[in-house]
Amino acid sequence: MRAVFCCLAGLLSLTTATACGRDRGAPPPVPAPLLVVDDRGDTLRLRVPAARIISLVPSATESLIALGVANRVVGRTLYDVDPAVRAVPLIGTGQAPNLEAMLALRPDLVILWSSDKRGDVQAQLRRAGIATLAVSLQDTTDAFRALRLLGTATGTTGMATVLVDSLQRTFAATRASIAGQRAPRVFYVVFNNPPMTAGPRTFIGQILTLAGGDNIFADAATNWPTIPLEELVRRDPDVIVLPIGEMADSAVGRLGELPGWRDLRAVRRGQVVRIDANLASRPGPNMGRAATTLRDLLHPAQALR
Amino acid sequence: MTANARRNTVRLTILLVLLLAAVLMGIRVGAVGLSLADIIGAFTGRADDATQSIVLGLRTPRVALAALCGSALALSGSTCQALLRNPLADPYILGISSGAAVGAVAAVVLARDTGPVWLLPAAAFAGSLGALALVLRIATIAGEGLDSRVLILAGVVVAALGNAIVLLFLTFADVESFRVAMFWMMGSLSGATWQRVGTLGVPLVAAGLILFGYARSLDTLAIGETTAAALGVRVERTKRICFILASLLAAVSVSVSGVVGFVGLVTPHAIRLLWGSQHRFLLPAAALLGATFLVIADLGARSIVRGAELPLGVVTALVGVPFFVVLLRRRDA
Repeated sequence: MRAVFCCLAGLLSLTTATACGRDRGAPPPVPAPLLVVDDRGDTLRLRVPAARIISLVPSATESLIALGVANRVVGRTLYDVDPAVRAVPLIGTGQAPNLEAMLALRPDLVILWSSDKRGDVQAQLRRAGIATLAVSLQDTTDAFRALRLLGTATGTTGMATVLVDSLQRTFAATRASIAGQRAPRVFYVVFNNPPMTAGPRTFIGQILTLAGGDNIFADAATNWPTIPLEELVRRDPDVIVLPIGEMADSAVGRLGELPGWRDLRAVRRGQVVRIDANLASRPGPNMGRAATTLRDLLHPAQALR
Repeated sequence: MTANARRNTVRLTILLVLLLAAVLMGIRVGAVGLSLADIIGAFTGRADDATQSIVLGLRTPRVALAALCGSALALSGSTCQALLRNPLADPYILGISSGAAVGAVAAVVLARDTGPVWLLPAAAFAGSLGALALVLRIATIAGEGLDSRVLILAGVVVAALGNAIVLLFLTFADVESFRVAMFWMMGSLSGATWQRVGTLGVPLVAAGLILFGYARSLDTLAIGETTAAALGVRVERTKRICFILASLLAAVSVSVSGVVGFVGLVTPHAIRLLWGSQHRFLLPAAALLGATFLVIADLGARSIVRGAELPLGVVTALVGVPFFVVLLRRRDA
């Protein structure tokens, strides 16, 4: 939250400064540098909007595409498979990118995770004089803030606002569409062995709720809690949501063979629904589609209307 | 019955009672708090579906598998220590664990799709057999018989090779495979099913009986190979059979539970320090104590930290080290 305010405050002061300058009839000022405070609290100064960008964060790559600046993406990770950036050179994975390959692409901005504990990628890039923007993406608020940060860094703040507004409208409409419906009790599978799920303060937990699902681990204290299998059996969800892509598709059939899992009501009654992992687990501009898809899976009757 | 035999019977009975107590406690305590009535209800078919599933489908097979794994590793460790006359010998000394890790990690990383449930244990078992064959081959190249020192060296070398191959696989693994591989290597009994209990139980009983038949030979071999030969033991044959049985026990147990350290190393020492090292007593006693120890360690692994499960090897070491230090002190005093 603080980062948003800093960012907005920075923008406001910039606009007033330029406005004053014009009033006095001074020569046209050199374009003021763009100031962005990222999620690590670091201030990023860009003289011009970033023009050669590498994103190590797949949802940020999707945001860049949605902001209409896909043509400025010069390097991609293994997980960036959107046709808009598919032809761009690979630089490895977000966790272990190849630094030399990155430097060779001469980026002027690299977007990375603020949660990268080692921080050595960022340090190396800084030494090479390349600006970095660290994003933290846990809940939907983080995702909206990241979209705005990227909008500022690429000079597309207007588009960022449009995207955020549209996402918020989709969320509201999805929530309204299932108002008064009974919410099925849902287990969202982040990982199956040991079972891991999404807590209430994650974007997945929040989208699950607004799509009309009752997260059976809404009481979790952490964001990505590991669940004892016994506890999962005890809470016995009505529906299991399985993101496909991270876990191979045959995982659905396999749940029927695994101890504990095979006794779950949802598995016995075939209430295991699949969602594309690339859609469900990326806190970016496709969160709206993730919400409506989940709503349709959890409330099939609403989907038909 | 001699006084010695009577004393041993009493001791084995004590160990058996301890094991039964540990098993009952293992079924009683878990991540989900269940009342005694719930648990009895589950066994008599009068509990609700979720309770039935937790008690009969998850907890009980898990406790049974823990007991069998503990037994298998303790038997295997006792045998290896006697044959190699080396107190540091454990069930994995002939490269079993690293061979199993190569098999398991290869299966996780190379399988393009999620394979069938049995793929991972089968691959781990195949890997450990491969490692064992390699160790025996190296030892045979080096000399006529199975020289203990050469065997230990060959085990170390093959383990190093196995670790290198595992790291090579992990370098190219995606995040998901990496996770699965790491969890496997940390050792866990969370995949316990009755089928796995059977898979380990049958070879355990068979190998246990055969090893028990070699108990006297092991006594003399533990003193020295020349002594054993002088007393009429067919040294090479006995060594080969016992090594292979001990390693097979370790291989089957690794394939169903991952690498669980410490049990196989320390349990036989504990029995020797407390009560002596005659193998007719040591083998069954170590098997019972190993079973009890692993049931308790697994109980700790799944209930010490609420809402999470600790790696089994972490608990065996945390519980086992202080216990062992106390034993050593007692002997010095």
